[in-house]
Amino acid sequence: MIRVFSLFLLSAFAASAQGLDPNAILNPPNSSWPSYNGDYSGKRFSSLRQINKTNVEFLAMAWAFQTDVSTGPGLKSTPLLVNGTLYFTEPDDVWAVDARTGQQVWHYRYHQNEGLHIGQRGLGMYKEKLYFETPDAHLLCLDARTGEVQWDVVLADVKLGYWATMAPLVIRNHVLAGVSGDFNDLHGFIDCFDADTGKLQWKWDALPKPGQPGSDTWPANTDAMQHGGGMTWVTGTYDPELNLLYWGTANPNPVLNGSTRPGDNLFTCSIVALNPDTGKLVWYFQASPHDVHDWDAVQTPVLVDGDFHGQRRKLLLQASRNGYLFVLDRTNGKALSSTPYEQINWTSGVDSIGRPVGKREKYPTAAGTLVEPDAIGATNWMSPSFNPETGLLYVDSHDSFSLYYAFSTGKPEGFGGRDLTVSSHCSLRAIDYQTGKSKWVHELGQGWDWAGVVSTAGGLVFSADVHGNILALDAETGQTLWHAYGGGPAQAPPITYELDGRQYVVVGAHGVLYAFALPQKLVR
Amino acid sequence: MFFISGILLSLIPAALLAQEPDDIQQGQGSATVTAGKAQFQQTCGFCHGPDARGASGPDLLRSPLVNRDVNGNLIGPVIRNGRPEKGMPAFQLPDADISNIVQFLHAEAKTAASVAQRIPREYPLEKLLVGNAEQGKTYFYGAGKCSSCHSVTGDLAHIASKYKPFDLQTRIAFPSGAKPVVTVEDSSGKRIEGEQVYADEFTVTLRDKNRWTHTWKRNSVQVKIRDPLAEHESLLHTYTDQNIHDLFAYLETLK
Repeated sequence: MIRVFSLFLLSAFAASAQGLDPNAILNPPNSSWPSYNGDYSGKRFSSLRQINKTNVEFLAMAWAFQTDVSTGPGLKSTPLLVNGTLYFTEPDDVWAVDARTGQQVWHYRYHQNEGLHIGQRGLGMYKEKLYFETPDAHLLCLDARTGEVQWDVVLADVKLGYWATMAPLVIRNHVLAGVSGDFNDLHGFIDCFDADTGKLQWKWDALPKPGQPGSDTWPANTDAMQHGGGMTWVTGTYDPELNLLYWGTANPNPVLNGSTRPGDNLFTCSIVALNPDTGKLVWYFQASPHDVHDWDAVQTPVLVDGDFHGQRRKLLLQASRNGYLFVLDRTNGKALSSTPYEQINWTSGVDSIGRPVGKREKYPTAAGTLVEPDAIGATNWMSPSFNPETGLLYVDSHDSFSLYYAFSTGKPEGFGGRDLTVSSHCSLRAIDYQTGKSKWVHELGQGWDWAGVVSTAGGLVFSADVHGNILALDAETGQTLWHAYGGGPAQAPPITYELDGRQYVVVGAHGVLYAFALPQKLVR
Repeated sequence: MFFISGILLSLIPAALLAQEPDDIQQGQGSATVTAGKAQFQQTCGFCHGPDARGASGPDLLRSPLVNRDVNGNLIGPVIRNGRPEKGMPAFQLPDADISNIVQFLHAEAKTAASVAQRIPREYPLEKLLVGNAEQGKTYFYGAGKCSSCHSVTGDLAHIASKYKPFDLQTRIAFPSGAKPVVTVEDSSGKRIEGEQVYADEFTVTLRDKNRWTHTWKRNSVQVKIRDPLAEHESLLHTYTDQNIHDLFAYLETLK
């Protein structure tokens, strides 16, 4: 009976031209962008070269899509592209738009809710299903054909202070969803749902229970570990050969005051490797032991198969919020190198296993402590890109200073303090992962830049500056080869794809999604 | 987590600095909250902790039930009926006492959720005053080279009366408001100078002395931008925390 049913399902999907075969995410064609990072590796590199160094100066608008959402945080989502349709989000909205014309196919509006509307980073997709995390921390399954809700499960309790922003990751029939919320001393976790039914398959808790591995990095006989943070708010990556899921975890709580949580506070500020079928922890690397600066380690773990100091390895690169580039052996989590890629003043170096050692005198204080970088960090959720042809990791980085105050009286809760940025300079860095040094640094202006990056085989890097100029840079030198102003901050990471023989670059600016392409006469 | 935790001085008007309201909801209902706290500590505190953050019994501030309660509609029945299956006895309290306990729990949950999300508007001077004014003075005239641009009888006279302590310390770390001066020389050799309105890598806009703005493509003219805060930028890389606190202690004497 069951077999008959699944056979029927298979044939039904074979007949349907509109669905996404989960195997297609393993090796996506250039005519698609089927997951948050385009593929499982997190490289955000495209082998397309129709738009290249020699012709990018002619890049022009192909279409624009106006979301008409004027009050929200603006577009921060990476669109998915499947079968010629783009799917993208704002906190309460999902759109399906024709990728050739920019015409709306459907629009889904979630009901009013009390979750934090700080941003929405995109969707996951499986067959004809889309997965959407709402501000009040529900996971919705939408029909990609119509935008109708198929099911709705509660990820976390918004009343306790959770919210959600991230794009779920689909691996086979698993939908992986993380959560946000660090005002209220909660605990982070990753939930894995059955892609068809929404039934919970497993849950990985970022905080151990008493007696479990990692619990000895928290004080005994207090509830600090139970309320210790470790949110999971940026989409992870996946190595199908090793069958390992890589995910970054966020800061511990209370955030800026660690006096009630002496110890390393595992598994906060860590990169963890999980078995996606069971949720079992295989290894971990802690980027910031006992963090007191809000520098989570959720930044995309970029998976690179390449040479490291003369030896071919399966690598994991993370340009982390604390200012360090970590190069890990992703088979076992061992650090091969840990090097600052941005100017920082808070460490005295790294320990024998590659973890930064924080200076005690740079902890937040009641009188204020001047720390480089600010709590936004040397980078943040902005997607980096790795180009295997240049061997460079392109990172949107910030050199910033902040006065950190720990001012809670009594037992610290929530943030336990706050920081005040006094200076911030943004740049796009092309980092040689062999050394951690930048081959070039392209200044992006003062303030905070939130643009992600995509790089291409056309020798180009697409990103944006703090003013909202969308940029195409020479991947080798960082020189600007093209720019366009989109009328607002460009915070939605750019993607690129090819349809009908024409390459498009799609990027959001405030409430408008733009598609750029070469004039038709140039691409015949 | 991602959150815009600070305020960037150069981008945001100084008037917005540390001006977020905090602790506003004192007052209304505080009498019932105080009464509720006493009642809670007497009746519930032994198991749930005197601050309701848990002891042998659960933390009530992170309780879904407490956070979903509206005016006692969920908490009330739990107090009256107890939870025998979990070892909590029933308490037969007057309605007014239960109402006070409910008010206390909601007030406390709100505090726990919002505590330290903002820098208090009136940051206490004594918390900032940890430096040595004499050493601050020495730094001002010596290693800090502050006196090469500033004078305590000139631009900094009575500075401690002009700014609240917190804002004064912020401005020592990095002052806001001074705009860069732009000088543009076109291909004919004509020069125009003014305050920077906008500058990116492609264009520059200045405001001239008659308050009109002018915009150029940067690749068509010679552009010089003088940032009056450049010295402060470099100080950020050399300041120790002691320097900042000593300077603050010194400037705070300039009432």
